[in-house]
Amino acid sequence: MSTIGFWISGVVGRTLAYSVPLLLSTLGEIYAERSGILNLGVEGLMSLGAFSAFAVTFFSGNPWLGVAVSGVVAGCASLVHAFFSVTLRTNQVVSGLALGMLGMGVSGVLGRDFEGKVLATTLPVFRLPFLSALPGFEKHNVFVYVSLGLAVILWFVLFHTRWGIVIRSVGENPAACDAMGVNVTLVRYACVFFGGVLAGLSGGYLSLGYRPSWSYGMTAGVGWLAIALTIFAFWNPFWGMVGAYLFGILYHFSFRFQAQVSPELLNTLPYLFPLVALSFVSRLAARRKVGPPASLGVPYQRGSS
Amino acid sequence: MKRFAVGVLLVFLLCFGFVALGNTQETKIKAGFIYVGPIGDFGWSYAHDQARRIVDDTYPWLETVYVEAVPEGEVEGVIDRLINQEGVDIVVTTSFGFMDGTFSAAQRYPDKIFFHCSGFKRAPNMATYMADFHQVYYLNGVIAGALTKTGKLGYVGAFPIPELKRHINAFALGARRVNPNAEVLVRWLQTSWYDPAGAKEAAESLIAEGVDVLAFTEDSPTVVQVAAEHGLPSFGHYSPMYKFAPNFVASGQLVHWEAIYFDFFAKVYAGLYTPKNLGNVDYWWLLREGAVELGADFGMPINPVFEDQLKSTIVNDPVYGEISVYDLVFALLKAMADPEYAFSPFTGPIRDRKGHLRVPEGVRLTMDELITMEWAAEGIVGAWPGEPE
Repeated sequence: MSTIGFWISGVVGRTLAYSVPLLLSTLGEIYAERSGILNLGVEGLMSLGAFSAFAVTFFSGNPWLGVAVSGVVAGCASLVHAFFSVTLRTNQVVSGLALGMLGMGVSGVLGRDFEGKVLATTLPVFRLPFLSALPGFEKHNVFVYVSLGLAVILWFVLFHTRWGIVIRSVGENPAACDAMGVNVTLVRYACVFFGGVLAGLSGGYLSLGYRPSWSYGMTAGVGWLAIALTIFAFWNPFWGMVGAYLFGILYHFSFRFQAQVSPELLNTLPYLFPLVALSFVSRLAARRKVGPPASLGVPYQRGSS
Repeated sequence: MKRFAVGVLLVFLLCFGFVALGNTQETKIKAGFIYVGPIGDFGWSYAHDQARRIVDDTYPWLETVYVEAVPEGEVEGVIDRLINQEGVDIVVTTSFGFMDGTFSAAQRYPDKIFFHCSGFKRAPNMATYMADFHQVYYLNGVIAGALTKTGKLGYVGAFPIPELKRHINAFALGARRVNPNAEVLVRWLQTSWYDPAGAKEAAESLIAEGVDVLAFTEDSPTVVQVAAEHGLPSFGHYSPMYKFAPNFVASGQLVHWEAIYFDFFAKVYAGLYTPKNLGNVDYWWLLREGAVELGADFGMPINPVFEDQLKSTIVNDPVYGEISVYDLVFALLKAMADPEYAFSPFTGPIRDRKGHLRVPEGVRLTMDELITMEWAAEGIVGAWPGEPE
């Protein structure tokens, strides 16, 4: 392969691998917020997912079981948030933050004995037919392909299917949906659960594939980044994907160009550039009157509005 | 009757007083440790905590508590809490960035003892200590220089501070002793001492640029794991990282902080060290004192997987003549661990990468020069913030 081809494949490959947790958790948060529930606990859910995936794989020797458990554990944990914000109609900011801290704390305490441990088996890398011919797609963890495919599928579901219409409508006007016979509570529970599952899986990817290791604090703020990216992506999985990959490529560049550009400046780019780029997108979106879901963060009570 | 009551009260108070006095004499010394990373990082903070456990288990009169993952700017508040709520007598702060916070707390609590790692500010009640790796890095460099095929060694560093610059320089000098054309490509994280994702991407970008041996300073085994994924040798940092990649961790730097803690706490307990006489107490312990060790794991200076390759690589050394790299490593190790300190990696002539003569012929850098080192040795490639003109 030519030098430039080698270079491109390196950049694309690292971007794809690094962006997975941010992409997955952003997609999950987009769905939760589209249904009207703000979940600020993503970081804690990721940490729970990372820990439970590691612990289960450590004992069972089966990373796929670990992956499944990470999704289920974080999904169930996010139901706590759903219960407080949907059923009890509490303040979603408070309940989400509490869940996040709980997730960090629980995984930190339970995970103490697993720190510094080595896994016998971790997630394998795959070559996909056709796709592996593209530069940067040669071989990857299955999460890389799944997250990419999921972004497209979730975009399609949200904007081109009946389910998508239902989810978006519940986030915009739950009263009208209720009147139409849509089960608002069920839709919101399902979306929060789904968001939790994706956050958990992104943690599982970190501890079983990306590193693979477990230690407290390894999620390193990606969950918070996902919440920011959800807003900048205008609650659209497609722009979420663009933003996540943009962040990933700039993160990679911050190491790649250190010999040429000041490292301090490079370190700010992954955070700065997506902001700038997405603010252009937002002008476009503003022209087309795209904003946050109208009922985002507002608890729904039948007959009260 | 009144007098009797007063008498009883007096006796009572006296007894109480003696009991209290007796108690203070039997009271344990309580030390509070503050770590910058999580103790599970399997790096710097993990190593400090392992040492804390060893001294705590060994000295019956010593009680210890710890606080982990403390951001460098928040150390003063944590010190306040340890002193006021936990009642510690000795505060041990284990990060360079804790220096100013520890120093200012030392002024506010003149009767407490402070023990700060890797800094240079001292006070009558604040001593400093460091188990330095520059000798071990030099030996790692010698090994790396013999193992590389591309002539490019990679180094992932957390922050461009003198400690890391000294270590990277030693690594480069060691490598060029056996491989005069070897280069050390450096990438900085500049985020946190514990940044697995950054370490992973930095290591990947070094490998993409042709590096085929990796060393690092970051508090997780990530770089070792990345190197192993690519089938490349690496050097563990601070903790025995052999188990993370048994076929690829060639050697590494291991620390025995407990050697320093044993000495310091015993001297405090014996009353030799008080909050009044620590102004010149600075531990700078090396191979000779047993504070550091060369190895992929404790007792394994060189991973047997690499033994044959190193034994069959013969170099013409300026001091030892025709010698295998394997034998050279042990000869140098012996010379540095010698009570007379027979060899220092920073013995002149040494030029920096801009051509300035930094260490004249026959001169050996002093400790002060080592801990303030900013220049980059020949063969180092990449950004070097703070590099002197």
